[in-house]
This record gives sequence, C-alpha cells and structure tokens, in this order.
Amino acid sequence: MTTTTVDFNTNTTETAPGEILPHAAGRKLWFPMFLMALMGFGVGIVLAFFRADAVNSGDVQAAAALGQFVPGFMFLGFAAVFAAIAFAVARILGAFRAGGGGMQEAAGAEVRTLTMPPTGRAFMGLMAMGMMILVASVVLHFIVGAFIAGGSDSALANSEEWSIWLEGARRLGVSTYLFSILLGLATIITVLRFQSVRIRQIVSN
Amino acid sequence: MTVAIDRITRPAPNADPRVDTGHRKVGIGIGVIGLLTAMVVVGLAIAAAVQVGDAGQEDTVGQILAVAFGLNTVALATIKTGIAIILIGVLVRLWIRVEGIKAALPSLKAPTQDHGPTTGTTETPYGTCDVAESVPRELPIHKMARTLWAPMLVMGVTLVAAGFVVALVWAGNVGSDPGVAVDASAWAQGLQFLGEAMVLAGIGFLLGSILGGLRAGGGGVQQSLGLPVQTLQMPKTAKGFIVLLAAGMIIAIVQFVLYIVTTSFDSAVDVATWFAFLGPLRELQLGLLLAGIVLALATIGNVLGFQFWRIRGIITTGS
Repeated sequence: MTTTTVDFNTNTTETAPGEILPHAAGRKLWFPMFLMALMGFGVGIVLAFFRADAVNSGDVQAAAALGQFVPGFMFLGFAAVFAAIAFAVARILGAFRAGGGGMQEAAGAEVRTLTMPPTGRAFMGLMAMGMMILVASVVLHFIVGAFIAGGSDSALANSEEWSIWLEGARRLGVSTYLFSILLGLATIITVLRFQSVRIRQIVSN
Repeated sequence: MTVAIDRITRPAPNADPRVDTGHRKVGIGIGVIGLLTAMVVVGLAIAAAVQVGDAGQEDTVGQILAVAFGLNTVALATIKTGIAIILIGVLVRLWIRVEGIKAALPSLKAPTQDHGPTTGTTETPYGTCDVAESVPRELPIHKMARTLWAPMLVMGVTLVAAGFVVALVWAGNVGSDPGVAVDASAWAQGLQFLGEAMVLAGIGFLLGSILGGLRAGGGGVQQSLGLPVQTLQMPKTAKGFIVLLAAGMIIAIVQFVLYIVTTSFDSAVDVATWFAFLGPLRELQLGLLLAGIVLALATIGNVLGFQFWRIRGIITTGS
C-alpha cells in the first residue's frame, strides 16, 4: 500500500523490507571498484613518467601513444573511484532502509518505508550516464593509442584533435558523475528527515 | 572559530524534524550551476577540436583551451561545493535524528534491570566495540575534521577562483607573449588543482565530522537511557581514509611547488617534460582523495548498520 506521510510517499508492510538491487550492488561492488581505481591510478602515473622520458628524448610517436594511454588509465581510475563512491552511497541508503524497517518492526509498529525519491532515481540514471561517457572515452583513448603505437601516420597526425575531443568527453563524464553523487547524498537527507518524523509518529501512536 | 563552525552543523535541540532545512535545495541548485558551467566547457572543447589543424588558428585554439581548462576546474569545484552543502545538511539532520531517538527510545525500550557489563569490549556483527559508562571522549581526528572542514572549503574555492583568473591571463598571452603564457599556465594548473584538493579535503573532513557526530550522538542516546555505552572501535576503512587523505594533500602541495619550479625553466623541452608527468600527478592527488572519500563513506555505512543493530537490541531486550 502506498500512502503519503507529511510529504513522504511510503510503502507499508508488516515486516522490515530487505535491501533492493541497487543497495545489494552497492554493498558488493564498492570495494572491487575501489581496488580497480587504485590500480588505474598506479598504472597511469607509471606510464606518465615513461611519457615524460619520451617527450624529453624527442620520441614523438611514443610520446603521442602514451599521451593516449596515460589519460586512458587515469580516467579508468576515475570511472572506478566514482563508481565506488556511488556504490558506497547506495550502501548507506540500504543501511537506512533495512535498519529503519528493522527498528519499526522491533517496536511493534507497522513498517513504513520511503519509496525511492526522485533524487534517488536521478542518482542512478546520471551515474550510469557518467560511467558510460567515461568508459567510452577510456576505450577510445586506448584505440587511438594502439593505432599510434602500431605506426599509423594518420592517427599520429590527428592525435591532438583526438585528445581535445576525448578531454571534452571526459570532462562531461566527470561532471555528470559528480552531480549524480550529489543527488545520492541529497537522497540521504530525505531519508533522515523521514526517519526523524517516523520515530516520533511511532511514539505518539 | 570551532564554536562558530559548530553552529552551522548543530541544530537547536528542539528543532522540528518536519522542517526542511534548505541544504538539499541549495546544494542541488549549486550543483546544477556547476553542471551547466561544465556544459559550456564541453562547448569550448568542441570549438577547439573543430579548429585544431586549421592553418592560422593555432592561437585561437590555444586561447580556447586555456579558458576551457580554467572554467572546467571552476565547474568541478562548484559541483563539489554543492556536495559539501548537502553534507552539512546530512550533519544537521543526523543531530535532529539523535534528538528524535533520544525522545522516543525511553517509551520503546523493553523493561529490564540487567544491562550487561559496563566496561571492557564486546564483539558485534559490525566489529569490536568498546563498552564504557559514559560517552567516550572525542577522537583527535574528529576534532580536527570538525575544525578544518570550513577553512579547507573556503581556501579551496578561493584558490580555484584565483587560478581561473590566472587562466584568463594565460589565454590572453597565447601567441602574443609565449613566455608569460607558459608561466601563467603553470600557475593556473598548480593553483587550481591545489584548490581542488582542498575542496575535496573539506568534503573528507565533513565526512569525518559525520563520523564524529555518529559516535557522539550514538553514545549520547545510550547514556541518556542509563545503558552501558557501546562504541565501535575505529575500523580499518577509517584508518585507510586518514592515510589516503594525507597522501592526497601531500601530493597536492608537491605538484603545486613543482609547477612553480617549471616557471624558472628556460628550455621549452624541459617545461614539456615536466608538464608530461605533472598533469597525471595532479590527477593522482585527486584520485587518492576520492579513494579516501570512498573509505569514509564505507565507514559511515558500517557505523549506521551498527547503530540500527544497537537500537533494535535496546528496543527488544532493553540492554
């Protein structure tokens, strides 16, 4: 049953609801994403020193190829670390859902659970969009870098143009991802407000 | 100063939980401004990409890229400022929640005289707990976080804005005075990424303040009921958060110093060589700070799980 409490849409059940799929994904995936991020940053910074050496020695082809691989690995790291943050936020929301329901159940009250607020839905949608943009730009960086390393004169000649296009895409991906995280955190405020109101309702009833 | 900062994050004890504190709306609004600014940056990148390779357009492309760099960092810092305001709202809401639970639990708690041991340690599904008769003292890292989040945010935003002004100087000198343009580019990159790191550190300290608030608030609720105060020991994720935050800030300062060092170089090859590793180095600093934020959020998730488990235990067993 869906009802409105003050200005909250809630589902009412007799027992505490379990976590939903995004919460379970958050619980399981935040740590693997965290590790992947550290690996991406580690490989990226090592390759950056090789690129600096290539720039210093005047090896144009190696510098251009590494100029694609370095941001590729670095932004693989950023895609992973933003995913880890988003999953950690989802895990917090899952803790509120399961914990809040469990508390109401223990108190012998009917269990009211907030339906997913619009900020929660936008959080997931924009997170997926940000991740796709970042991963696509990382893949393209690797493809362009592979062509340059393979000796393609055309890829070498257009490497600067590719870099500018892909930098623009990366910036859009990072901004979208950050904004999705902002919305995820805003959802926590809504949940906290609902729970503060609900616990007073239980006592007054 | 700490008292003034605390006033921002601590609501009045009798605050109405139904009232919207406004942090959510303001934070989302600022985030939208940041996202729109980022769209402008994407437009600039497209404009530069279509002109690159055109004969005679090199200076124009250089100018567009300089402005795009500065504006992009401003856009990201704006969204992060929105995130910081949302986190302030979370802190305020956590304290309102603490007051609500304090008021509600006495009538929900099962009656019992056996409250278990009042000192020592105990194992829980969420880790080892210290048991004490009163609320434990504030940890130094929580005090530091409570004091430093606001100065870090203010300094960070100021440095990003100052770096944007320098980026405009950089753009203005592309083609006309290459020496000044290169020096200005070094200053702009160093300043803006030091600022970005400070904004992220401010967010990290806000998360630390949330952890401190959960610890103090959870202890306060238990003490108000006359129960032994169970407090989760600092988990490994929290220790990792501190290490990554410190590492990120150290690299932020190092990259800033190294960018300034490049302004003393006479050789364009030397500058290009140093820029080749300083760019990824400044990204590494942000990556480490963000990785620290992941661990802080993971710690908050664990602490919340513990607190709900504890409240449920108090309601069902009274101890």
